[in-house]
Amino acid sequence: MAAESLYDIWAKRNPEWEVRYEDNILRTFCDYGKGNTSMREDRAKLFGAGYEVYIVAFFIGLYYNQRKPLTTDNQKRKGFGWAIENWGDIERRAGRKPYPKLREYIFTALIAKTDIDFIALDKGEITVRKTVDMLIQTMEEYANWGFNFIADKMIDNPNYFYSETAFLEVFLSFNVADVINDEDEPETLD
Amino acid sequence: MILKSINIKNFRSYYNENLFELSDGLTLIIGGNGDGKTTFFEALEWLFNTSTEDIKESNISAKRKSELEIGENEEVLVSVKFEHNGEKEIEKSFTFERVSADKVQCRDFNFIGYEISGSERLSRKGRNFLEEYFDAAIRKYCLFKGESTLNVFDNPTALKKLVDTFSGVKQFDDLVELTTDFERKSLSAVTKEMSNDKKCKLKANELNSRITAVSSEIHNLKKDIKTQDAAIHSYAAKLEILERNQEASEQYQDIKNRIKTLSDKRSKMRSYTVVDYNAMLLDDNWILRSFPQILNEYQHKAAAISKEKRKLDKQETERRAQEKGEQEVLIKIQKLANDAVPMPWNLPDKETMEDMLKDKVCKVCGREAPEGSEAYEFMRDKLNEYLRHIQESTKSDTKKENKPLFSNSFIEELHNRQIKMSGEDEQRITRIATDIADQLSFIQERKNDLIKIEKELQEAEDEKSRLLIQSSGLTEDMLDKDFNDIKGYFEQQKRAEIRVSDLTRKLEHKIAEKKELDEEYTKLEPENISVKMYQRVHTALLEIMKAFINAKEKNVSEFLRLLEDNANVYLGKLNENDFHGVIRLKKTAEGSARIELYSADGSYVHNPSDSQKTTMYMSVLFAISDITTLKREQDYPLLFDAPTSNMGGFKENSFYNVIDKINKQCIIVTKDLLVEDKTTGICSLDDNQINQLTCSVYRISKAANFSKTGLSTIQTTTKKIK
Repeated sequence: MAAESLYDIWAKRNPEWEVRYEDNILRTFCDYGKGNTSMREDRAKLFGAGYEVYIVAFFIGLYYNQRKPLTTDNQKRKGFGWAIENWGDIERRAGRKPYPKLREYIFTALIAKTDIDFIALDKGEITVRKTVDMLIQTMEEYANWGFNFIADKMIDNPNYFYSETAFLEVFLSFNVADVINDEDEPETLD
Repeated sequence: MILKSINIKNFRSYYNENLFELSDGLTLIIGGNGDGKTTFFEALEWLFNTSTEDIKESNISAKRKSELEIGENEEVLVSVKFEHNGEKEIEKSFTFERVSADKVQCRDFNFIGYEISGSERLSRKGRNFLEEYFDAAIRKYCLFKGESTLNVFDNPTALKKLVDTFSGVKQFDDLVELTTDFERKSLSAVTKEMSNDKKCKLKANELNSRITAVSSEIHNLKKDIKTQDAAIHSYAAKLEILERNQEASEQYQDIKNRIKTLSDKRSKMRSYTVVDYNAMLLDDNWILRSFPQILNEYQHKAAAISKEKRKLDKQETERRAQEKGEQEVLIKIQKLANDAVPMPWNLPDKETMEDMLKDKVCKVCGREAPEGSEAYEFMRDKLNEYLRHIQESTKSDTKKENKPLFSNSFIEELHNRQIKMSGEDEQRITRIATDIADQLSFIQERKNDLIKIEKELQEAEDEKSRLLIQSSGLTEDMLDKDFNDIKGYFEQQKRAEIRVSDLTRKLEHKIAEKKELDEEYTKLEPENISVKMYQRVHTALLEIMKAFINAKEKNVSEFLRLLEDNANVYLGKLNENDFHGVIRLKKTAEGSARIELYSADGSYVHNPSDSQKTTMYMSVLFAISDITTLKREQDYPLLFDAPTSNMGGFKENSFYNVIDKINKQCIIVTKDLLVEDKTTGICSLDDNQINQLTCSVYRISKAANFSKTGLSTIQTTTKKIK
């Protein structure tokens, strides 16, 4: 039996976020918390499902390379109940298209940014569960910082993100430095 | 009556007092659209209206009203000073008071005339005063709002009223009525006597019944002709509107098509510019714009740990081989030059290696690897090693004692992902930043296009509105109408004309027939002497009646000729260097008159141009004014509101030069003689043109700094130019 991949195990998880962002971000910008039937009605929302703004928050934290640990109080944390493996698969709103590939990029970012001893993992000295826990923690901390960033902007101007390019501009503000080709010499085949 | 000055106070856009001093000749009041021209004219109409006590709140200056505190009051007043056998003044006013924040009360309507002699001012009731010096009949021929009112004969009773007012014909009416009555009575007496006369009885009765029959036929024919005449006229009027606007209609269609094309373009551009950037972040992976660095980080990491793992794996295998003395295993391990770390066992895959062995070529370095060569052997060993790994992994469960160093293969997973994500995927991610920049600049360009299109669209809409304003009295529906209608109207008009000429011929016959019968009747020789007497009396009275009717007709005709002659003098002056033709005033069947234009050779000018019409009607007005002066021994002013809006610029200029020299008091409110600065859109007076005139000129304009939406900021300012 082929062993389950790290990606698959990670993708089955439900990352958490702090409840304090539920009203002012998730319910404000997404259809989060609404039944399927009423989704179509509210066209004013900037995003569809709740995980969409979560992804946005995650990438904000990632590009700023800033993490913020979540509160340790379980009562103040919440998940979507919608595993990562489903994110971006279906979008009910007209004019949208699926983006499953984005999950893989999130995964690669987490591998790149999480300090994990993979040799130990392959040797079986640390468990897969522990490894995936660490990946999810990285993800949650980046997203948590991103949520904090969004909330901060809204303190000064509650309508800040209602400008059509507001989120885009956040991402345009990051550098697109040419990837420095400082790779090791390619491995020889001889 | 010569107007000396006009004062307008707090009447609509006229804030506080605004005094216009008028010259005996021409006074021009010049203003652009919305500057208060029509309000000036309507203020005078309000003053001269004797029929109601009109204290409408809408006549109050919104600006003045807005300034009033609760309890404060102010007045609306329009007054005119004039000379008419001495100095006089007529004044109409009412008071308005603010009673609450949003309510103003109007009261104390006053309409007073003043006879001024020295310092003494004798006041009289305004209505009576006005009727004495400037009665309704005169006013009708003095105040003209727009060019449509210039044709004073444009209603059936106009001629009669004009003739009654300004000629001595009216006294004939009673005489005609009296003599007609005498004739009728004597005729009935004759008829009665004749029917009793033995000799003529039969013949008289027969003639009488024939005369009655013919008379009734004549009456019916006249009625028919009148109906057909009216039809011809109505078709002519419809045709005139359609023909006049054929050009406008074509222009309208052109604008309409342009608007449609532009609207289509606009929706297309809008579809390009309405972009859900938030969706693009996710759906089009725009969020990965800065991802290449992260991916690069991942690739480094995955490569490093994979290399590390393979190194450890190799060391372990070597150690085990040594331990177990299995040289065979060691041989089979590929030895790389300078003892480098080998590639993962699963790379290249089984199919690739079999392929390379079959083709005897190393497809990694491109060199040939003939059977038996070192390279060929290397590839064969690598394939064998691959197969051994596969075998071992299937057997690993059973060979517990031979437990490998690494029980998991997550590093391979990461390494595979690294390989998968290089190449096309990596290229795609790297391109995102450029894609976004391209897309954003594309959208910006479309937005610029959209602004341009919207501007063009607005211009087209404006052009349409201007066209509708110019083609006054026309609606969009009418302009949209198919001009095939013209053909139909033409045919119906022609049919009516043929019918009229038939009927007219018949009428002539019948009139001749009646004349014969009448003559025959008068020639009857009755037996009875007294019948003969009656007959003679009737003949005499008939002749008297005819004489009066003729005299009346002649008087009207003479009046019209006089009017015509005077009008033609003015027409010549107003069109100094242009074709002007000859005005004829034609009596119509209904007893009114029509102003028509003929060419010198006597042919009727069917469609005079708008400027020809305007000068034609104004010439008649000047002529009427001349006659008024003659009959009443008083001159009356002529006031026109925008009479020349259908003229071309060149015509307008000579028009004012001529009016300037006519010895008649004229007040013309107009937007002519303004020049527009094409770049700023600001209108200013055409000084060149104005310097050529000797008349008084006032410039009225909206005071600056008004709000486009606040009526209370609008104020007309007046400035005497000369």
